[in-house]
Amino acid sequence: MEAYQIYSLTSAVLFAIGIGGVFASKHFIKKIIATIIMGGGVFLAFVSFAERDALNFADPVPHALVITGIVVAVASGAFALALARRIYQLTGEESFNNEK
Amino acid sequence: MSILIDGLLAILAIYLALQSLLAPRLSQSVFLFFAFGLALALAWVRLGAVDVAITEAAIAAGFLGVLFLDALRDFSSTISEKHNNTEAIQSSASRKKIKTFLLPRLAFGVGLGLFLLISLEAIWQIPQGGGLTAAAESMLPESGVEHPVTAVLLNFRAYDTWLEIGVILLGLLAIFVTGGIKIYTKPDVVAKDPLLRQVILFFTPVLFLFGAFLLYIGKSGPGGAFQAAVLWGAIGILLHLGGKPVFAMIPRWVGQLVLIMGLGFFLLMGFVFMSGGATLFEYPKAYAGTLILIVETLAAISIAAALTAIYANLNQMKEEPKENESAN
Repeated sequence: MEAYQIYSLTSAVLFAIGIGGVFASKHFIKKIIATIIMGGGVFLAFVSFAERDALNFADPVPHALVITGIVVAVASGAFALALARRIYQLTGEESFNNEK
Repeated sequence: MSILIDGLLAILAIYLALQSLLAPRLSQSVFLFFAFGLALALAWVRLGAVDVAITEAAIAAGFLGVLFLDALRDFSSTISEKHNNTEAIQSSASRKKIKTFLLPRLAFGVGLGLFLLISLEAIWQIPQGGGLTAAAESMLPESGVEHPVTAVLLNFRAYDTWLEIGVILLGLLAIFVTGGIKIYTKPDVVAKDPLLRQVILFFTPVLFLFGAFLLYIGKSGPGGAFQAAVLWGAIGILLHLGGKPVFAMIPRWVGQLVLIMGLGFFLLMGFVFMSGGATLFEYPKAYAGTLILIVETLAAISIAAALTAIYANLNQMKEEPKENESAN
């Protein structure tokens, strides 16, 4: 078993954990963390395929895409965090509460 | 042996991801998330993606972790039992209630398991396409830099990178809107802690130099604008925490100029060379290397300023509700 195969399998597991967390966890911060874990799974898949397609060096295009992706994920995570804090300040809720 | 390390690292990443979602306290979640980011960074080093590893450790684990830590002050440190200790609710609730809870949970679990199997299958089936390695390698001498990832980021796919700087700026604008327009008030508290002052005095030049080194080394090795930007952004965050908010001390237009500098220069340069017959973001071959370095420097300063502003803005959110409450 090659190293990239281990990480490709890990990436699928991480994505599933993330998507489970998005649905199952209640608190805003945990939901945001879950989306970032999902993103981590996707990036890991990209980079493991870059390693598989390596010639003299690993495929640089997925690496560049992943760097871009991480920064975009962080920007959207920061915005989500701002929204969550604003909701908490205005309503005092820390999770989506459907019962009301 | 290497399989053993990779396997352990994979298990560690999965374990930390699970734990950060299952931990009962929010602070545990955030710290496990830090650890998860660092484990992922190690995995990327193992996969030969050192650039990605630096970016992950610096931005995804470091900067985002700092934002989460800052948010922890807002939210109560323990999750309210009403919402999240569902198991406790279940055990105390009547038998009948457990049965109604069980079915959706079971369906959710089965669905998640099926989803995992499908994604494993999909990952396994991705064909060996060869990728773009050969294309990137053949064009590398014309890019003006020696490091393939930097060449892709700032030359071959410069459009993506330009939009990425724009996305950070867009995130900052969205946060401005969320938090209200009143920003960058001068704080009345100055850091009295002598230790904090010493830390700032010591780390500011070190971070600046290390950032500049990463920026310059990006030409020939792992490093580059984004990695440098996070280190420079850390200077801004340190100064903000030390009672010297950068954006409150400089005139407003200077701050705005610094924020849009990277995006603006990149686009302007693209248009200037476009008027000479090139396509957008195509560099003249003779001074591609120099131009890339200038673009990277300006982009790094802009991104660092944007990250500092994002932090400062989120950090100030906690002071606002008191005024709102008193007004109400």
